[in-house]
Amino acid sequence: MFKKFLALPYALFMLLFVLLPLVLILVFAFIDATDGSFDLVANFQELAKENALGKVIKNSIIAGFSTGALCLIIGYPIAYFLTKKEFNKKGVMIGLFLAPMWVNFLLRMMATKAVFNVLGIKLGMGAVIFGLTYEFLPFMIMPLYNTLLKIDKSFIEGAGDLGATPTKAFWKVTVPLSMPGVLSGLTMVLIPSVTTFAVTEIMSNGKMMLLGDFIYSLKADSLNMAAAISFVLLLFMIASMLISNKYDKDDGKGGKLW
Amino acid sequence: MVRKIVVKTFIAAVLILLYLPIVWMIVFSFTGTTSFSSWGGFTFDNYINLFTGNGANADKIQEALLNTLFVGFFVSLLSTVLGTLGAIGLHAIHSKKIKTAYSTVNQIPMINSEIVTAIALALVFNLFSATFKISDGSWGATAFKLILAQTSFCAPYVLLNVLPRLQKSDNKIYEAALDLGCTPAKALFKVVLPDILPGIVVGALLSFTLSIDDFVITKVNVTSFETLSTLLYGLKNGKHPLPADIRALFTIIFFIVFALMMILYSPRKKSAKD
Repeated sequence: MFKKFLALPYALFMLLFVLLPLVLILVFAFIDATDGSFDLVANFQELAKENALGKVIKNSIIAGFSTGALCLIIGYPIAYFLTKKEFNKKGVMIGLFLAPMWVNFLLRMMATKAVFNVLGIKLGMGAVIFGLTYEFLPFMIMPLYNTLLKIDKSFIEGAGDLGATPTKAFWKVTVPLSMPGVLSGLTMVLIPSVTTFAVTEIMSNGKMMLLGDFIYSLKADSLNMAAAISFVLLLFMIASMLISNKYDKDDGKGGKLW
Repeated sequence: MVRKIVVKTFIAAVLILLYLPIVWMIVFSFTGTTSFSSWGGFTFDNYINLFTGNGANADKIQEALLNTLFVGFFVSLLSTVLGTLGAIGLHAIHSKKIKTAYSTVNQIPMINSEIVTAIALALVFNLFSATFKISDGSWGATAFKLILAQTSFCAPYVLLNVLPRLQKSDNKIYEAALDLGCTPAKALFKVVLPDILPGIVVGALLSFTLSIDDFVITKVNVTSFETLSTLLYGLKNGKHPLPADIRALFTIIFFIVFALMMILYSPRKKSAKD
């Protein structure tokens, strides 16, 4: 009995600083800042009036999908080959690919910008996508690697025994079985990449904004409008959480803790 | 054979791209030039300046370093206490509903966009300072606010590192200690804590690293409080993004974080094997 009460401080803290903040987003998204009244549409109407928003959304879609695609195209082969012992002795290689996650992302971006300056590479959309791919590649490799590692090798051997060429076995067995990893990799790249703040600013010399930078810029004028757009992002986040949780259950022995 | 060479080249090429900017910075931390393009001769001056306080950004660096370490220490402490107690409590709870509730709430700070978390925290701090009439702005109040904000996304990581240790440990020893006359609190300290200590240490180090790494939550929630991240951000508009003494500072931090990660990941690999 005594032990159970030890969870109380944690529960209380999470209630105050994780759940209550989310509830406040929901509340403030629908409160009109000018008169403090409840209004379902006021903040969203104000948002629609922002001239910058259209361009921000367009840029976010371009940058987000390009980053997601690049991370997948580079990350999938990396994760796939690293599950083979010949390329990843003692798991050192996978460690090297995940380690950049732990270097401050601003530092990596500033260093990349400095290197781009030296090499004479122009800053702009291309540089932004490079920066985002740089930042999020480990987040794609990690779930892919975990999923690929768990695939039962006998399925692939079975496909071979039944006459499939290695290429065919890869496309017909390995790829479909790794879909949960692809999905959770995309979850960890798509929304987070368009909502990062500062990468775009650094890699485009302040000329471009993605959703994250836009929300930050709103914060100064109106927390209510920032809450409104955060609310929309939250809906996307919940949707992607539900989708990847569904696949997590299907795969059974995933990293579930309880 | 050809396949092997192609694969190895591909892996090497991506690794080089990933590490090029960092290696470039480390190399140029041993020269005094402002830009990354020209080499101005090998020197340890950038490092010496850090310790003597003579670099171009010396005052800012000192302030940022102290603030970051102060906040990081207390975030780590608070997250470790909350997360460890939370894990012990949660492990003893058998209700499926409560467990699901915890695991869902735990996922939120990990999956949520940082900027959304930051705005959400800003709303909650506004509410608190309005309700309790807290006058914001002093160094102490700012640091306290930042510690609470960062703990909200660090504590779940502690809980997630401690819980698997608890699931592996044998509850019968704790019960035996109670049977032999231990108070629950004493049994906890003498039996349970030593058993889960590795998980606690990993959680504490992880919280510290996450705290010193944080930028978005800091930038949105506190003003006029320099941390290492905000210091970097402040340099973004310069023609040469990373001045000499900043390169030396972050080279040192890079190697400290690198060493921390080696410590963090080696015990995990062992536990993965058994």
